[in-house]
Amino acid sequence: MDWLSNQIGPDWARAVGQLVGINVGFVVVLMIVAYTVLAERRVLGFLQGRLGPNRVGPGGLFQPFADLLKFIFKEEITPAASTRFIYFLAPIIAITAALMPIIVYPFGPEVSLPFVGKFHLVIARFDIALLYVLGITSVGVYGVALAGWSSNSKYSLMGGLRAAAQMISYELSLGLSLVGVVLISGTLDLYSIVEQQGGWFGLRWNLWDVTRVPQVVGFVTYLISAIAETNRVPFDLPEAETELVAGFHTEYSALKFALFFMAEYVNMFTVSMLATTLFLGGWQGPFVDVFPWIGIVWFLLKVTFFLFLYIWLRGTLPRFRFDQLMSFGWKFLLPVAILNVILTATVLYFRWS
Amino acid sequence: MELPSISQLLFVLFGAMALGCAVAMVAQRNPLYSAISLVGVFVSLACLYLTLQAPFIAAVQVIVYAGAIMVLVVFVIMLLNVEEEVRRPVRLHYLIPVGVLLAAILVGEAAFMLSLGSGGAARVTPMAPAASDIGLTASIGTGMFTKYLLPFEVTSVLILMALVGAISLARQGRTPLLAAPGNVSEEPAALTAGGELALKPGDTAATGRAFARQQLERGEAAAPSRAASEEDEG
Repeated sequence: MDWLSNQIGPDWARAVGQLVGINVGFVVVLMIVAYTVLAERRVLGFLQGRLGPNRVGPGGLFQPFADLLKFIFKEEITPAASTRFIYFLAPIIAITAALMPIIVYPFGPEVSLPFVGKFHLVIARFDIALLYVLGITSVGVYGVALAGWSSNSKYSLMGGLRAAAQMISYELSLGLSLVGVVLISGTLDLYSIVEQQGGWFGLRWNLWDVTRVPQVVGFVTYLISAIAETNRVPFDLPEAETELVAGFHTEYSALKFALFFMAEYVNMFTVSMLATTLFLGGWQGPFVDVFPWIGIVWFLLKVTFFLFLYIWLRGTLPRFRFDQLMSFGWKFLLPVAILNVILTATVLYFRWS
Repeated sequence: MELPSISQLLFVLFGAMALGCAVAMVAQRNPLYSAISLVGVFVSLACLYLTLQAPFIAAVQVIVYAGAIMVLVVFVIMLLNVEEEVRRPVRLHYLIPVGVLLAAILVGEAAFMLSLGSGGAARVTPMAPAASDIGLTASIGTGMFTKYLLPFEVTSVLILMALVGAISLARQGRTPLLAAPGNVSEEPAALTAGGELALKPGDTAATGRAFARQQLERGEAAAPSRAASEEDEG
């Protein structure tokens, strides 16, 4: 690092370091996503009393690569009546908005490496990390909505409209359920939020930290709105296959469909990372202060728990009706999230005064 | 090796992006393309704020404008399926020289400021990078809830009023469908054994009013406005 910063100046050296970090992060996340898809198919198979894909490689381990090859060699079909520019733009927006937030999540404590020195295991750390995540998430709606509109198909349009309405509605309760954590932490920087959850043998998580204000209600509302925000069962109305064929991506094929597919799973992954970071203490866990690298294991274990929860729900729950979805979001989830904010603020006020 | 600083590069990049998207927004004839270009403008403006040490404003810009307001605009365009606008001949001819004149004045002003060089630009003290914490979330929050509390609260009340006004405007046209004491003058249509309304093909206003009355009795609908019910009578 020192050599590089002598050559091109400290600013550029830091930029190069972050670019390397971002690329490594993207590759790792995409690999995890590929195996999440495999895990989903195997676990769903288990839940439904069948095997799932187990032919390619030992136990189906190479199935994601087979899928990728298939996606690449499928025929690219563009509907004749589509709005071409937006039709191609939509999957790009979807995957970009899904991948951008992953850079702010801290996945480990401060570690040291030979030749590099001490550094924090987080790609980018800045003042508004949480707002950045929320902002990028809210831009992600365009991918889905524009895909539905530009395909020029009734099913796609219905799917796109449903997705836009659903994501706007649940974004509110999603954002409000996080306010409680921000109130007790006093910062939007995700690394500091995780650092504050240290103690109690690494188990002093915001979820049940009784020395501050336990965020159980915030956690539950966040989890529900996050599932709705990623369009997963039981909130997968935008792609309800019994009503809308495949919803907003009905007219997409080959790699463009693969981009939407990946975006959905990357979104699942980032949403799980946010839940881990804010409510379950991020990389905090037993023995982190003795051996810092174990933080990565705790972090991935907690994220895996959420990913499993997603798959479990998909194998268990039926789908909502659209009006039920809307009234649940606006008339139940939003008031509960606001109540949590008021409650947390009140307790904090009396504790400070 | 001498490289331009990163923030200079980013400023030029996102400034060009903002200008390009702004021109595209005005020039496009398809309203959806214009809306997307406007989103592009907002996002590149947010990036410009970031290079100017104002991260909070940048985040709010993206969340509020790009993520909420423009999504609604795109939603409406998609719902109404707005057609491409037809180019009409320009009617207000005298506006063209005025526009050209104003543009020339603006360009001249900018050139004048730049040509002054050290004498002109130096009078504006540039913000020292990273030394200022004005743009940080904590300082904005502190300012908003202490020094600028009254403007903040007044603005909130204003927005609340706009919200209530919009809802009452939107409801007025639809009141006949909802329960209104003035609407429910006729005998309700037949109810089935389970207390549900039996709808037949050919049922019209009477059925709707009966349904509305049912809603009112069950407490499912709010009280209507008087104006709409009078309109219904006449």
